[in-house]
Amino acid sequence: MVDISSSESLLSEDTKINGTVGNCFADDAKMSMRNVNVFYGDKQAINNISLDLARNQVTALIGPSGCGKSTFLRCMNRMNDTISICRVEGEFKLDDEDIYTKKMDPVLLRARVGMVFQKPNPFPKSIYENVAYGPKIHGLASNKAELDEIVITSLQKAGLFNEVKDRLDESGTSLSGGQQQRLCIARSIAVSPEVILMDEPASALDPIATAVIEELIDELKEKYTIAIVTHSMQQAARISQTTAYFHMGQLVEMGSTSQIFTNPTHKLTENYITGRFG
Amino acid sequence: MNSSTLIFVILLLALFSYWFAIQRAIKIAGGITKVKHLTSLPKQFGLLTAFWCGIPSLIILLVWGIFESSVIDSFLISSLAGPVDNLSSDQLSLYLNDIKVMAEQPIMQISNDPEQQSLSQAVNYLVTLQSNAAWLKSALILLISVTSVSYILSRFTPEYQSRVKMEGIVGGVLWACSGIALLTTVGIILSVLFESIQFFSAVPPWEFLFGTEWSPQIAMRSDQVAGSGAFGAVPLFVGTLLITAIAMFLAVPVGLMIAIYLSQYASAKLRGIAKPMLEILAGVPTVVYGFFAALTVAPLIRDFGGWLGLSVASESALAAGLVMGIMIIPFVSSLSDDAISAVPDSLKEGSLGLGATPSETIKKVLLPAAIPGIVGAILLALSRAIGETMIVVMAAGMAANLTANPLESVTTVTVQIVTLLTGDQEFDSPKTLAAFALGLMLFVTTLILNIIALKVVRKYREQYD
Repeated sequence: MVDISSSESLLSEDTKINGTVGNCFADDAKMSMRNVNVFYGDKQAINNISLDLARNQVTALIGPSGCGKSTFLRCMNRMNDTISICRVEGEFKLDDEDIYTKKMDPVLLRARVGMVFQKPNPFPKSIYENVAYGPKIHGLASNKAELDEIVITSLQKAGLFNEVKDRLDESGTSLSGGQQQRLCIARSIAVSPEVILMDEPASALDPIATAVIEELIDELKEKYTIAIVTHSMQQAARISQTTAYFHMGQLVEMGSTSQIFTNPTHKLTENYITGRFG
Repeated sequence: MNSSTLIFVILLLALFSYWFAIQRAIKIAGGITKVKHLTSLPKQFGLLTAFWCGIPSLIILLVWGIFESSVIDSFLISSLAGPVDNLSSDQLSLYLNDIKVMAEQPIMQISNDPEQQSLSQAVNYLVTLQSNAAWLKSALILLISVTSVSYILSRFTPEYQSRVKMEGIVGGVLWACSGIALLTTVGIILSVLFESIQFFSAVPPWEFLFGTEWSPQIAMRSDQVAGSGAFGAVPLFVGTLLITAIAMFLAVPVGLMIAIYLSQYASAKLRGIAKPMLEILAGVPTVVYGFFAALTVAPLIRDFGGWLGLSVASESALAAGLVMGIMIIPFVSSLSDDAISAVPDSLKEGSLGLGATPSETIKKVLLPAAIPGIVGAILLALSRAIGETMIVVMAAGMAANLTANPLESVTTVTVQIVTLLTGDQEFDSPKTLAAFALGLMLFVTTLILNIIALKVVRKYREQYD
């Protein structure tokens, strides 16, 4: 615990972020963002951030509330397009393809870059329909048997199939919180995305359900590139290979998770991960 | 004292007992500084006492008012014994009326006629009875007020649970208020039901329900030519159905699309302007819609029909239906907009995040989730359409044609109720009673609609936390 005066002195260091320390670029980048600025109306939420998401790795975005990590995440599949006052500048590339050009259809982009939200949000439909929703929209299955196949494999990959195989026609909202979140993961896997963005996927869950989700994320990185926003530093340490520390809309430090958590370079990062600030 | 003075006195007493009970409570507590040791606030002691002062006496006053005249009548009749023995009940009530009128205007010359004499005796007796009753009433009411106040004051101790008792009384008052709504409904149903039963004793129900000719004019004298008195309501039901259907065909799709546009596509600024403006549509008096329909829309449709080579009556179901549809658009759009906006953003984002287009998201996620609200909106609009009168009176006419052709003039149940009950009417002729039967049909229809709505809403209601 710190007293107020010392935390104020910590806050005064906010202004002294001079660029990012550590290594924010990957050798094999699935997505690369350069010089990103995001504004909500007049307010700047992201200030000149550049970083890469390494292919088939889990990248954790950590930082205190309001630091812009969720905003950044939502920019990566253009979910912020739905907010009318939001303005995004900078370069976003998915496999060397710019995702903010006129040519790129945000709808197709979101099929390639899936998203799992903080609060489990299954549709008020059956478990089967929840998973089949995306494949149906994108015409991924030509007949019922193929659709069944996609639904079952997605549920299996999300580690939910054994728990729900006898009640696929029950409402998705009747599941427990942890099961709902795994259903949402299955739902986004079903459209075979390349990248999965997760916005605090376990923050509404109990420790056991959280452990199941974390294990699942660890398995999913074999096939997908994952970015996860989390408030739990233990979680970031357990599941990610790379960690980025955001502060007041800026990227303070980025590097391998083991380095960030054992030997942070920047004072702000150190304060945050040792629990003295945030 | 008459009743209004009495009520005023009771209120004054209640006010006084409020103040007195507060003083008393403070005294029981042992001074203003020790008030915190009481289980309730002094104010609550005061309110409780004021309620005790007012409520029982007002209830007794009400009961007294209900029974006073009949009790006085029976006293009067028993005193009259001789002269009224062989009168029929109608004549008796006329005779009693005479006495009451005279009692209120006591200036009259008494002749020696024995009948006049007994009448004036009766008048005197009535006046005595009434003044006694007034005295008795005032005394009783005041006694009750004072007794109940002193009873409650005698119970006051520092531990007395005024607050709990107050809550009980407040609960009772709230219960009574909901009782008023309930009783009114029951009363309306009963009165409509009894009048309808009377109607059905004159006109057989199957003739009313399945007859295809409506011409409710009944000859008042045998030599009158007017009207055969046919009460087949089918043309009215068909007319109502036709106009309502036209209105719903216009209002539901347009209203829903407005709702979707406003909730999903419009900018916040446009929505802020458009929504209140739409709601103004709902605030236009239906009379205004009526002459808009009759003077603007109906001729337009007639001319357009003529241009197409169709013969359109100058008062057509189509004109009335279209204008009615416009009138109920805001009901559909505004309530559906609320229902769609109430679907959690997380569902919308979930769908968009899977690569669904905005229109797919609306069709497959938002609309299904908003179904209960949308059904509610549509049914509200439907009952507005069924009950709507002014537009139809002006634009669709009064002719009870049995037709499914929207270009002809038709009439509706509500219009006929209006025409049956306006003007000088006998209140026990089948003609006026038919209005109650029609009212009963409308009531049953709306009831069935509401039951269906509840079922639909329950079936589709989904829990999203």
